[in-house]
Amino acid sequence: MTTWTVVWMALPFLVGFSVYLLPYGDRLLALGAALASMAYAIALFLQPVPLELQFLDSFGVTLLADNLSAWFILTNALVTAAVIIYCWEQGKPAFFYIQLVMLHGSVNATFICADLISLYVALELVGITTFLLIALPRQDQTMWIGLRYLFISNVAMLFYLMGAVLVYQTHQSFAFEGLRGSPAEAPALVLMGLLTKGGIFVSGLWLPVTNTAAESPVAAMMSGAVEKAGVFPLLRFALMLNEFEPIIQLFGVGTALLGVTYALVATDAKRVLACSTLSQLGWLLVAPAVAGFYALAHGLAKASLFLTVGQFPERDITTLRQQPMPTALWLPLTLGGLSMSGMPGLVGFGAKVLTLDSVLPWQSIAMNGAAAGTAAVYAKFIFLPHTSDASAPREVRPKPSYWVASLLLLGGVVLASAVHLEAYTWPDVAKVLALLGGGWVAYGVLRQFLTLRLPVVLEDMDHLIGGMSVMLVVLFWMVWSWSMA
Amino acid sequence: MLHACVYATILLGFFGLIFKENLVMKIIAMDVMSTGVIALFVLVAAREGIRTPIVTVMTPRNFADPVPQAVILTAIVIGFSIQALMLVGVMKLARDNPTLEIREIEKGYRP
Repeated sequence: MTTWTVVWMALPFLVGFSVYLLPYGDRLLALGAALASMAYAIALFLQPVPLELQFLDSFGVTLLADNLSAWFILTNALVTAAVIIYCWEQGKPAFFYIQLVMLHGSVNATFICADLISLYVALELVGITTFLLIALPRQDQTMWIGLRYLFISNVAMLFYLMGAVLVYQTHQSFAFEGLRGSPAEAPALVLMGLLTKGGIFVSGLWLPVTNTAAESPVAAMMSGAVEKAGVFPLLRFALMLNEFEPIIQLFGVGTALLGVTYALVATDAKRVLACSTLSQLGWLLVAPAVAGFYALAHGLAKASLFLTVGQFPERDITTLRQQPMPTALWLPLTLGGLSMSGMPGLVGFGAKVLTLDSVLPWQSIAMNGAAAGTAAVYAKFIFLPHTSDASAPREVRPKPSYWVASLLLLGGVVLASAVHLEAYTWPDVAKVLALLGGGWVAYGVLRQFLTLRLPVVLEDMDHLIGGMSVMLVVLFWMVWSWSMA
Repeated sequence: MLHACVYATILLGFFGLIFKENLVMKIIAMDVMSTGVIALFVLVAAREGIRTPIVTVMTPRNFADPVPQAVILTAIVIGFSIQALMLVGVMKLARDNPTLEIREIEKGYRP
């Protein structure tokens, strides 16, 4: 298995560089790399003990692949494969597939890193390739949004590096365990970098604009896989080092509520999805032990929603309420939306029940509220008018590649619901249905009043960077008073 | 003393990032900040001595720690390639926004 891990990790980069030599095989090679990751994830599930690889004798440079990594790798593989299939007929340049497969490889790398420096390299690579994918249409707007993303992520990583060297100074090792016993500023700096990179709470407010402006396949890849690369190390910290768990869970609850509030008042379909991603990343952090399954549920449904919204001629929800869309597009939209809201029979139900069952008492009210809020957010899509009238002109109809990609993702949504059959107990089903109904009723009643405009000023670049210093102070206080005591 | 200088460099770079209006100035400020972080790594490496860690016949004791230096080399390369990439992006943006004022750009390109 050790050899396979090394081969699997190097494969996307090998494929990426060989596409330069074989530009005609771009799509096939990229798809092959994604399928290889899928196979690796399945092999990892069958592995009875976590796999640990130690490099460079005692400096703590290690890889750790366990069940949690397997869930995230599987999500990444499925989302990447779906995005490649979706773009199959769009005539994208080979460069797009090169960056996509490298991004896939670097996201995979973050899921098995167990030391601060490998993680740093992987996260920086994620940042660069994501920037190239966002900026690829070479319009001024996407260029600026990409530049802004790269700026924020690079500054966050500089703070992270400071934390990493302080950990090394204390322990002569870069292993994650070194955060324990380091002076309080080291965990504060590292956590701040990761919160920004992962899109958590106010540090994550770069996320809505970035996902809205990026092209649909890139936005699907970002929401489905890339943003989880920053969240995954936080989960590892929470599971490995108990003293940081309350901090990470508190940020999870805050993010879940903040994202849902933003999503409720948004009117652009893509922005609604992006803000909902912000909230779902919070859900991952709330219950770190069951986050793997939640990541799969969210990645599949959200990627399919982004790909579907990419097929709409119009993104404004008020306009969509007046122009019925084809039923053929409404069905995948509804299926994805229902899974996100936790409908029994779809993968979202199991994920939601597992998370809600393992939250602490103080989180439970907030998380139930966030679940109802999520149902209300997706009611925006589910209750849109639709028509089976086939009079739509031929060129606006979705291409077959869209259907294959949707089938892959939504097939996953239906099939993966069989993984946690023990979640189907009467009280849980009743509870989730009540939350769903409550959210829908709330949406129906409040629809007229949801015209509140939240200030966008917090999403400006200056404020995002300034917010980092505020966050750093808050984190320092939290680490110092909660985790060091 | 050296520590204070290093942290001052990082802080000055960070303030530049917040207060400079021009996009090119922001990139330069980011470079100042990353120089500070690199200096911090070098400083940590020189904690127990500043001799080059090469094994010779008579081994002196006060080696500099090679690990942070090796690690920061990676970070320097990454930082420099990100900066090159950003400058290319700024060149592209400068065609339509010759002043490169961040406020104007932000307002103009909000989706």
